[in-house]
Amino acid sequence: MCGIAGVILQEPGDIGRLLVNMLDGCQHRGPDSTGFAIYRTPKDHLLILRIYLGCSADSPKAKAIEDIVLEIIVRFGAKVLNKKFEQEHLRIEIDYSKDVKALCYAIENDARVEILSIGNSLEIIKGIGSANDIEHTFKVSGYQGTHGIGHVRLATESKVDVSRSHPFWAYGFNDVAIVHNGQITNYYKMKRRLIKHGYQFRTDNDSELIAVYLAHNLASGKKLEEVLERSIYELDGTFSFLVSTSKGIGFAKDRLGAKPMVVMEKDRIIAVASEEVSLQRLFPGEQLSTYEPFPGTFKTWYTSTVVTKV
Amino acid sequence: MVYIDCRNKSITEINRKIRSLAAGGEEIAIDNPDARHLLCVGLLETVKVTIRGSAGYFCAGLSDGLTIEVLNNVGWAVADNLLTGTVIVHQNAGAMPGVAMRGGTLVIRGNMGSRAGQVMKDGLVLCAGHASFMPGYMMMGGRIVICGDCGAGVGQNIINGEIYVGGHIGNLGDDAQIVDISAKENEEIRQMLDKYLISAPTKFIKITSAKKLHHYPTYERSEKNDSSTPILKSRLVSSDSIWNKRVVNDIITKAEIGRYRVRGYGAFRELPSFDDIGFRFDPSMLEGLSNVRKRVNLTTALGGKFGGKPLKLSIPIIIAAMSYGALSKNFKIALARASTLAGTATNTGEGGMLPEERAAASQIIYQCLSGRFGFNPHDMLKADAIEIYISQGAKPGLGGQLMGKKITPEIARIRGIPPGIDLRSPSRHPDVLGADDLVIKIEEFREATDWKIPISLKIGAGRLKDDIKICVKDKLDFVEIDGMQGGTGASPEVVTENVGIPTLAAIVQAIDGLREIDQEDELQIILMGGIRDGIDAAKAIALGARAVAVGTSLMIAGGCTVCMRCHIGDCLQGIATQDSELVERIDIEKTGQRIAGFLEGMATEIASITLACGKNDINQLDRSDLVALTSQASAITGLPLIEKPDVVLSSRCMDETLR
Repeated sequence: MCGIAGVILQEPGDIGRLLVNMLDGCQHRGPDSTGFAIYRTPKDHLLILRIYLGCSADSPKAKAIEDIVLEIIVRFGAKVLNKKFEQEHLRIEIDYSKDVKALCYAIENDARVEILSIGNSLEIIKGIGSANDIEHTFKVSGYQGTHGIGHVRLATESKVDVSRSHPFWAYGFNDVAIVHNGQITNYYKMKRRLIKHGYQFRTDNDSELIAVYLAHNLASGKKLEEVLERSIYELDGTFSFLVSTSKGIGFAKDRLGAKPMVVMEKDRIIAVASEEVSLQRLFPGEQLSTYEPFPGTFKTWYTSTVVTKV
Repeated sequence: MVYIDCRNKSITEINRKIRSLAAGGEEIAIDNPDARHLLCVGLLETVKVTIRGSAGYFCAGLSDGLTIEVLNNVGWAVADNLLTGTVIVHQNAGAMPGVAMRGGTLVIRGNMGSRAGQVMKDGLVLCAGHASFMPGYMMMGGRIVICGDCGAGVGQNIINGEIYVGGHIGNLGDDAQIVDISAKENEEIRQMLDKYLISAPTKFIKITSAKKLHHYPTYERSEKNDSSTPILKSRLVSSDSIWNKRVVNDIITKAEIGRYRVRGYGAFRELPSFDDIGFRFDPSMLEGLSNVRKRVNLTTALGGKFGGKPLKLSIPIIIAAMSYGALSKNFKIALARASTLAGTATNTGEGGMLPEERAAASQIIYQCLSGRFGFNPHDMLKADAIEIYISQGAKPGLGGQLMGKKITPEIARIRGIPPGIDLRSPSRHPDVLGADDLVIKIEEFREATDWKIPISLKIGAGRLKDDIKICVKDKLDFVEIDGMQGGTGASPEVVTENVGIPTLAAIVQAIDGLREIDQEDELQIILMGGIRDGIDAAKAIALGARAVAVGTSLMIAGGCTVCMRCHIGDCLQGIATQDSELVERIDIEKTGQRIAGFLEGMATEIASITLACGKNDINQLDRSDLVALTSQASAITGLPLIEKPDVVLSSRCMDETLR
């Protein structure tokens, strides 16, 4: 139960700032935690790892974790280019172009940490508190990029913590993330099926399933549009979710139309949010042209399809 | 024309400004609305307002008499529960436009979202563009005109009223049918559209109710009146067999009616209950238990945390929600009278607020349910608190049911439905599809009542540990929790007997959830669901409830003989019937006094127990005053089992005896 937001630009811009504004606009939908998935222009072989340590950066435990993580990275033949602690998070840039899933499972299982995201362009920043709290800690509005998605959470079943905050990274799969508003009711059946395929789950949060489900289908070579269409029939329950990849963003809406979503396609920017109030944050005082997508529909946008309107 | 700039103002400031200007007869323009929620909510003046931009959720909700133009879009549930007036939206509307409308006109020049006019009772919704799916979902009256195309499920479960569609329709909903439209009617629709300068399509398709789902057969045999089928005498149906008399009777019933059984009362199965826990008294305290009512403070205040005026209770017992419809008018008034005599509050239940009931009650809680039957903003302002019904213990996840026999013309008029149909309320609120929407709905009531009264929520006990945390986040004054033993006027037996958790477990779960987030003292809980006397009440309070609510026991105090025919409507005591001759059997004053007498009896029991526990204030009872009498109850409540020697020896009671 939550608020969601997504935005995509024709050219790189202030994605972080736009998302902070949009999420602040719908914070009433979710006071528990807030998160962002932001995409910058990718560089070849350069992977960004964002790791949640679960302890303060200046604790001895953080140092120990760092050593293990770096050792694993080297073991995988990758080269560390940069590393930085941010509160309880560790951000590492590496030169690596092989299997991400094996690397990420190795780090998580050996170092007992949680990887928030791995991607050539993706970075996930999330935590307990409001959009302004996360902005204060991580300076999200400084992040430049072409597109991104975000989420405010009102926990209904699983715990309030960083692990269960959105966005969920499509665990083990480069650059894919989701945010979700709703409840997946065939969670246990679908989860068991995916575990049989060798996927690991880290939480009991139903939204995590969507991320793994999409990753699984994308890994088998299907196009994003095909996967979104299929999700409308294979996922049961209520949902409006946004997915983001290195190339763009998309949404899928359940057939019950139980969760809100408003879309605005404007000059060189497309934005989507739970409520229009978030879209107005981007253009205060303007009369916006918006629409509410039909139940049981999906759509995708890529930077190349964001048009110039006069 | 007076201009209000929304920038840097809270929605409460904006609405107060609108209300005061409207009272002065001013025409109002609202600038920089920026899709803010709850604009012009609870406006009961003949006023003209222009919103120069987009409005968010519940624009013009719970209002009467106003004329509003929104120059851009609106969010969900525009014109919610509108009584009279006109709302014109120049662009698109989100989902549920015109939800629960009771009159007036809603014009949408662009497209509109799903479930337009859900549970509307009267009035007109005109849409110049296209509509998403399920327009007219469970509509009970009025008209919806859609010039463009429509999604699937047009007129899903429509009960009454008409839908006109100019374009294509996805498909028809259950119990909807296409009927011929006369040239005259077509012209009439055209003129309505002309009035708002909307160009009409050449021809409309008219959709009405097929009326096949309005009635479902009532099985009139009571529990006590088993049919003597030969099989009942066979060895197979001894009472300890799984094929006992009750099971066999049940199978025969289902074979006859072809569906689940619907009946009143509550769960009959054996469940862990308050009988399974006891008090640890200091025996010496039991001496001299006289004049107990004067010696113990039983008063309590409910709500007020968010600025509303709290309910002031002389006893920690309120009257549970029971509708006019399920119950007779005389009995409802008697309950109201009893609440005043006992110094507590009554509750309207689902069927709206009776003027006589309001007059007789010093404090009344106004219940808002999914069907919005009889709900109107004028009565809302007369209430002392609002209770949003999510579900109840006897039927978690379902709305109310009222059989046709009890729907008299008067009740039909108050509720805004055709007389004589079997009424089923929707299982969920049309405009609350999750905890996130609920936040906004609760704020709609706050705004519409100007934050002056407490807002509460009633939930059937299920996954309470999670639900209670949501209640904290949704900023409620108090929460009514109804356990599995809760009563009902009519409910599918399959749900009554099988869904939910026992009342004893419910309070423990709820308090556990609150403790987990350190909010135990912040959210007040009223426990209900099979509370029979002051002993049950005191146990509930010791486990963490602030007060209890009682329904069934008050009916018995008022003359109910538990004949199990509530759902049929021929209650000989005049309690659960609308038969005027039977209703006359109730002497309002005498019945009110009997019920008040019972409440006073309960209060005396509570006071005695409190004193016996060595305390002078009901709010000082706590878990240390209790023990579990069965291992099952101990497992559920976490209370020590009385047999466990070290516990007994260390208890206050034993210590003093040994000394």
